[in-house]
Amino acid sequence: MKPRKTGRGPATEPRASARGHTPRASGKRPTTTTSTTTTTLVELVVNGAKVEVPVEATDRLLDVLRGPLGLTGTKEGCGAGECGACTVLVDGRAVNACLYPAREIEGRAVTTIEGLGEPSGALSDVQQAFVERGAIQCGFCSPGMILAATALLAEHPEPTDEQIRDGLVGNLCRCTGYVQIVEAVRTAAARRAGGGTR
Amino acid sequence: MTRAAAGVPRCAPRGKRGAVATSGFAYHRPTTLREAWRLLAEHPGAALLAGGTDLLVRIRARELQPSAVVSLRSIPELAGAAAERGGGLRLGAATPVADLLRRATVVRRYPLLAQALRVMASPQIRNVATLGGNLCNASPCADTAPPLLAYEARVELRSARGRRELPLEEFFRGPGTTARRASEILTAVRLPAPPPGARVLFHKQRRVHLDLALASVAVLLRLQGTTCRRARLAAGSVGPTPLRLRAVERFLEGRILTEEVAVEAGRLAATAVSPITDLRSTADWRRRIVEVRVRRALVELAGLERAGGAP
Ligand SMILES: Cc1cc2nc3c(=O)[nH]c(=O)nc-3n(C[C@H](O)[C@H](O)[C@H](O)COP(=O)(O)OP(=O)(O)OC[C@H]3O[C@@H](n4cnc5c(N)ncnc54)[C@H](O)[C@@H]3O)c2cc1C
Ligand code: FES
Ligand code: FES
Repeated sequence: MKPRKTGRGPATEPRASARGHTPRASGKRPTTTTSTTTTTLVELVVNGAKVEVPVEATDRLLDVLRGPLGLTGTKEGCGAGECGACTVLVDGRAVNACLYPAREIEGRAVTTIEGLGEPSGALSDVQQAFVERGAIQCGFCSPGMILAATALLAEHPEPTDEQIRDGLVGNLCRCTGYVQIVEAVRTAAARRAGGGTR
Repeated sequence: MTRAAAGVPRCAPRGKRGAVATSGFAYHRPTTLREAWRLLAEHPGAALLAGGTDLLVRIRARELQPSAVVSLRSIPELAGAAAERGGGLRLGAATPVADLLRRATVVRRYPLLAQALRVMASPQIRNVATLGGNLCNASPCADTAPPLLAYEARVELRSARGRRELPLEEFFRGPGTTARRASEILTAVRLPAPPPGARVLFHKQRRVHLDLALASVAVLLRLQGTTCRRARLAAGSVGPTPLRLRAVERFLEGRILTEEVAVEAGRLAATAVSPITDLRSTADWRRRIVEVRVRRALVELAGLERAGGAP
């Protein structure tokens, strides 16, 4: 049985701090929860907004994002950790949402592609660089690729080409041939270093 | 390519769209070891989950159908790393690989381990995958195993009834099997103080970046002048378990390292392993990789390169 939509989808809510590095939501860590019933209510922060979603024991974070939360920007490719299409940030770190048990998201902060830009609709610097550099063709890999790139730049603000490639090894693209993607990340990094647009 | 070789179909059959399993399981998040042991006792069909990067893939491919999943992620005792008396280091079994790489003690004092952790999987996987999961999964190609064998690591296993410790070498029993009893949890990996002045090299042979190792070799050497005082070698993906190459170690220790010695050590290594032919590679080729990589590692670590040397 799929969990029902909560009607509190964060996509429509104001985003306090939607830029990737949301600190771990404070508050009580869950005490031991022993669920033999199928559904548990889980509280988390998605793109800056606190939400509560019903989660089944077998759900993955991906199911919760695309299902009850309606955030379909996160894609499912392989479902097995290989392609990176499902990449999101959990407490600022890139993870495969297809391998993340939904129950473990309790109390954490998730950033999806919907949370990267400005509330006004303006793109993040990484998104903007992807558009400008032609790093997007069919677009299926783009949300995951952009989130992986965002995490990469947070860790290495001035990455070498090798660091860019290493940071994106978990993301497959069937269209671009990767060259434009590496250029886009380089562009975003250069602009940040040069104090350009954000 | 990668997972297919580990026996997981590339396109895992999908049951109910989305969820991990069709059969369903209860999900438990104990916060103490005691609770985790109790849950294991209560649910004989339970599976432990750390990062879940092996477990969830196998559940989804229907290789496993646990009645319950017991998560180790909220148990503080299993996370982190701590210096030990005598200069060693204790690594919590459920510490994500990326966290280990952020620790200066790991990177500086155990560079052979760090080299292997850096080439494991992808950043996304490294952020959740754990050392304990890598070892308990007991794949012959587990990347953390050869360096840990070379450092002579020990594993700590604890159950409600007590605690025992054994050398990592004795922990591996075969592909996918370990000495761990169903009631036990791997709580920590204990590294003795690293040999001072050791030179190290980890080589992972793979086709593309995200591949599992086709063969891997870990070499640790301590030299005095040109004499080998200590040698520790281990190899992955070339036997039913990750292997320590004791015959090569015995051959090298006490010898003056020359190119001929390196060549002979490579030959010995090739005879010490027992690779198989599978989807990803052939036994002959794997043996050859071990021979060449052991030789080159010794040449490099002992600074024996010269123009026109062995290829
Ligand atoms: C795309 C992809 C690429 C990969 N690439 C690599 C690679 O390059 N190199 C490599 O070595 N591996 C690779 N792996 C395999 C996997 O990521 C690693 O083996 C990882 O270290 C497993 O750790 P985990 O915490 O995710 O394990 P889990 O999946 O949580 O557990 C694995 C097994 O160990 C048991 N277990 C876990 N922790 C404990 C414990 N503390 N006590 C007792 N039992 C326990 C579980 O019950 C399960 O049977 C890859 C996996 C994927 C999906
Ligand atoms: S869908 Fe998660 S990695 Fe492919
Ligand atoms: S743009 Fe099509 S998969 Fe990357």
